[in-house]
Amino acid sequence: MRPWIKAIAIPLATLLVLATARAEEPAPPPTPERSTLDAEVQELRREVVDLNRDLFMLEEDLLFPASTQIAVFVSMDVGTFFDLDSVQIRIDDKEVANYLYTTREREALLRGGVHRIWVGNMKAGEHELVAFFTGKGTHERDYRRGATQTIEKGVGAKYVELRISDRLRKLQPEFVVRVWE
Amino acid sequence: MNNIQDSTQDDRRAGRLVAAIAVLIMIAAPVMATTAPDFALRSVSGSNHRLSEHRGEVVALLFWASWCGDCRRELERFERLRATYAPAGFAVLAVSLDDEPASAAALAAAAGINYPVLLDSAKKVGRAYQADELPLILLIDRNGVIRARHDALDEREERGLLVQLRDLIDE
Repeated sequence: MRPWIKAIAIPLATLLVLATARAEEPAPPPTPERSTLDAEVQELRREVVDLNRDLFMLEEDLLFPASTQIAVFVSMDVGTFFDLDSVQIRIDDKEVANYLYTTREREALLRGGVHRIWVGNMKAGEHELVAFFTGKGTHERDYRRGATQTIEKGVGAKYVELRISDRLRKLQPEFVVRVWE
Repeated sequence: MNNIQDSTQDDRRAGRLVAAIAVLIMIAAPVMATTAPDFALRSVSGSNHRLSEHRGEVVALLFWASWCGDCRRELERFERLRATYAPAGFAVLAVSLDDEPASAAALAAAAGINYPVLLDSAKKVGRAYQADELPLILLIDRNGVIRARHDALDEREERGLLVQLRDLIDE
C-alpha cells in the first residue's frame, strides 16, 4: 500500500471505529450531575440569546446612528377596500425599498402588526419621500396609488409611518404618510 | 538512491497533506452548508410567496424555464413527490426564469402541477442561487439550509434524491 493511501485510511478508520463505539454505548441513566449540566446548558443558551440581542442592537446603533437614522413603517387598518400587494419607496427620487407582501404578512398587518419596511441613513435637511402602494381595490380591480411627503430631517432619528386605512364615506382606501418625532 | 529517497519523502508529504485536507473537509462539512437566500416572488396565480415562510418544512426549489427540454419532466416528477410527501412537511416552489410570464403559466398548466410557480423575469433570484444551468434543483432543510443541489435527474440520481429527501423529512 502506498504511504499516502495509508495516511488517509488510518484517520478515516479511526473515526469510523470511534463513531461505531459511540453509537453502541447504552444511554446513561439520568443523574443529579446530568440535570445540573442540563441547567447549565439552558443558562448558557439564554446567555447566547441575550448576547445576540445586544449585538443586534449594537450593530443597529453603529450602522444607523440616531443623528442620521430614518425608518419607514407600514401599517394597515381594516383593509376592506384595499388588498395590499406591494409597497415601493423612493427617497429623493431614488428607490430604497420594494417589498412584496404575502398573504400571511397581510394578515399580520390587519391584526395590528407594523412592518419596518426600510431603515437607512439620511443627512440633515429636506427630503422627499414618495410611496407607491399596489394591490387590488374593490371588485378585484388593480389599484396603484402614490403618497408624497416632504421630510425635514433634523438631529434625531426620524420615524415615518405609511398608514393604509378605509375611508368609509367615499368607500375608498386612504394612504396617509405620518412623520413621528 | 538519493532520488528514490526524495520521491518517497515527497509521497509521504503529499499523503499527509491529502489526509489533513480530508479530515478538514470532514470537520468543516456541516459548517460549510449555506443558508438559502430569502426572496419573495409573485406566482402565476397572482399570490406572493416568500421562501422564509416555509421554515419548518423541507423545500424543493426548482429553477426552470419553458424553453428548457428537461424541465417539464422535473416539474412533473416534483408534482408526484409533492403529492406523496406534502403531509410530512414537504413543499415545492418552482421558479421560472422565463422572460414572458405567459409561457411559464402555459407550461405549468400543461404539466398539471399544483405547487406555486413563481416568476423571476428579472432573474434576481436565479442569480442569487447561481442558476446557470436549467433545471436546477435544490433541497432545503427545515432550518433553511441548502443540503443538496442537482441538475436534470436520471433514474439513479432520482433514487439518490429520494434518499436525501426522506432523510431530510425524518430529521
